[in-house]
Amino acid sequence: MSLSLLFFGVTADIAGSRKSDVDVPDGESVEALLVRLISRYPKLASHKLLFAVNEEYVDIDTILKDGDEVAIFTAVSGG
Amino acid sequence: MDFTELTAEPIDITSVARRVVPPECGATVTLDGYARKFTKDKTTGEIRDTLYLVYEAYEPMAIKEMEKLIEQAKKEFEISNVGIVHRLGKLEIGETSVVISVAAPHRRAAFAACEWLIKQLKRTVPIWKKEVYADGEVWVEGEAPN
Repeated sequence: MSLSLLFFGVTADIAGSRKSDVDVPDGESVEALLVRLISRYPKLASHKLLFAVNEEYVDIDTILKDGDEVAIFTAVSGG
Repeated sequence: MDFTELTAEPIDITSVARRVVPPECGATVTLDGYARKFTKDKTTGEIRDTLYLVYEAYEPMAIKEMEKLIEQAKKEFEISNVGIVHRLGKLEIGETSVVISVAAPHRRAAFAACEWLIKQLKRTVPIWKKEVYADGEVWVEGEAPN
């Protein structure tokens, strides 16, 4: 299945992009995606990361679906 | 009327504050959050001298999260209307980064709700701040929501 990944701030700097598409096995969890991303971008491992799927915060054990938009970012710092 | 906005333009605080005023209200509390030059590092105690800030957002989710906060605040406090506007892009020192205006029949609830809203915004709304110094820059990482 195909996922659309979004990166912001620190994670965009590490990934070297703000948006990319990735193909993963059906039924992949956010946690499995994270492991995949850390092997590709090892520097992600040194940050506490949050995840949103289709613009809603999700837990790491959430199962992803084809076409999901997955955002990966550090704890927010607006205000 | 409630409203939430993200803008790359300077924020006109008065116009935000006056947009939330309905006839049943007697007070609006407005927070003007702006870019600070000197920040004390929480771990080292060192004073950082910031040249300017850059904000970025996951825009559609940030709007949704701000709308959720307004909905929750209206359940929690005796308030009528809320307007939240957050600036994005490059901000010079002293420029307004966020305005939260809360209109209520009585001021006490407006003060309490405004404080609650900024505290929650800093925990949950997907916006990030980069501090740029003479000798480097850093994306500030906040405290994760539970």
